[in-house]
Amino acid sequence: MSASPQIVQGVGSTAGSTVCAPTRVKDAGNSNLGTFGVKSGLAQMLKGGVIMDVVNAEQARIAEEAGACAVMALERVPADIRSAGGVARMSDPQMIKEIVEAVSIPVMAKVRIGHFVEAQILQSIGIDYIDESEVLTPADQEYHINKHAFKVPFVCGARNLGEALRRISEGAAFIRTKGEAGTGNVVEAVRHQRAVAREIRSASVMTEEELYAYAKDIQAPFHLLKETARLKRLPVVNFAAGGIATPADAALMMQLGSDGVFVGSGIFLSGDPAKRARAIVQAVTHYNNAKILAEVSENLGAPMVGLTIDANLKGGRMAERGW
Amino acid sequence: MQDIQLATDIIIGILALQGAFAEHQAMLQHISRKGHLEVIQVRTPEELKRCDALIIPGGESSTIALLARLSGLIEPLREFVKTKAVWGTCAGAILLSQAVSNPKKGGQELLGGVSVTTTRNGWGSQVESFEAPLEVRGLRDADVPFMGIFIRAPVITELLPAPHEPPIEVISRIPDSLLPHRTTPDGDPTQTVVALRQGRHLLTTFHPELTGDNRFHEYFVQECVVASLAP
Repeated sequence: MSASPQIVQGVGSTAGSTVCAPTRVKDAGNSNLGTFGVKSGLAQMLKGGVIMDVVNAEQARIAEEAGACAVMALERVPADIRSAGGVARMSDPQMIKEIVEAVSIPVMAKVRIGHFVEAQILQSIGIDYIDESEVLTPADQEYHINKHAFKVPFVCGARNLGEALRRISEGAAFIRTKGEAGTGNVVEAVRHQRAVAREIRSASVMTEEELYAYAKDIQAPFHLLKETARLKRLPVVNFAAGGIATPADAALMMQLGSDGVFVGSGIFLSGDPAKRARAIVQAVTHYNNAKILAEVSENLGAPMVGLTIDANLKGGRMAERGW
Repeated sequence: MQDIQLATDIIIGILALQGAFAEHQAMLQHISRKGHLEVIQVRTPEELKRCDALIIPGGESSTIALLARLSGLIEPLREFVKTKAVWGTCAGAILLSQAVSNPKKGGQELLGGVSVTTTRNGWGSQVESFEAPLEVRGLRDADVPFMGIFIRAPVITELLPAPHEPPIEVISRIPDSLLPHRTTPDGDPTQTVVALRQGRHLLTTFHPELTGDNRFHEYFVQECVVASLAP
């Protein structure tokens, strides 16, 4: 019998997690793969860019031609998930593979919160990033995926600093606001971005004693909170997501401190997807240049129909999923 | 270390259309030097005009090329590359190469300037991204390895300097023993080249800007920028 490979426990793994979740197996040839450095590093390469939701290879090509820095492969965009109702799951791997074949930019895909087998499947087909996403129906009401256990990196949504740091503690290498997906209404993304920024500003002037108490208060790991306070920003890349529909929305999120944006339903449910996609890409690069923002905002055709976020919102508040 | 001596004020631009440009800026701002070194982000032809040298960062090469086209920067960048020092990392290395063997469908624009052919995502998808300590010729403390961070990195497939062009100097190769699968994609030794110089241009397929080690940035300023400005 050969010796079993050494199992490397991730920072956030707990006793027993290696029994059911995939493990990062360290053997001589692969010891340098899937480090946190290359996971968070890919997110750094996406900065200043736009990640677009696409549902087939044809849309993926339109997104790439329009300058997307990555695409998110999914079966239905969030607005359609809202109107269709029912349980939303990981997409068909065949469809994801077609999208991977069609483009040269990174391809991401979504898994349900806590559904580590969907994540194992996506890792095995060579996806570049996984979004453990509240847009799909959660598979676990208590636990998120132990993301340290994977070679493939994860992005997760957050509404505030505590939630962001809990996800990073579990191994997320990239954070995005949750916003309210599928609404075309940017108000929740703004709320989440401002909340994170405000909490980082307060933490950055706290004494060590205050940080201990604050870590307890926001339910964040102390060492990550301390590092965030020192850096005066999240220790990983932070994008805006959820409700971005126009170039001005994208530039707004950039001026509020986002490193880049995700656009879900806003592109392919609008009147002229290719043109709008390209305009949003330019808006993210030139977010501080109102003259260019005005030029690219001209004649984009009809934006997606927006939804008011209130008690009657069809499909409910997705941002409240995740813990 | 010795402070880098700058005879005149130097402006180094970082192409800031998309990608990890802020990281390069932070690294350059920590270089110890005498004299004035200004670092600016470049998004317009006017900003490019002010620069004595340029860094093209990592990001997505197809996105950066499109944004350069839409911002009216493609031709000014091609002219810039002909006369001034330029360093391309990862996506920047693809943009500086004279040909890319697997562009996005429908092709993608390049700037050229370095006589190599590259392959995008040559090692595979993100799950094949890796780190490896490298020996680099010419760096300060060259016996201390430099950590190479390879993220969906391109692979250099051909070195093709023409007789009238400056020679290509390979400054770092990755040993087979450190490759994730112990071999290059095609088993071709050219593919182990991960850093090279041609004249005033520097090309790295990995990301020195993601380390805490600014020896590559020093090297670029000293060996490419200052040397190219010398009378």
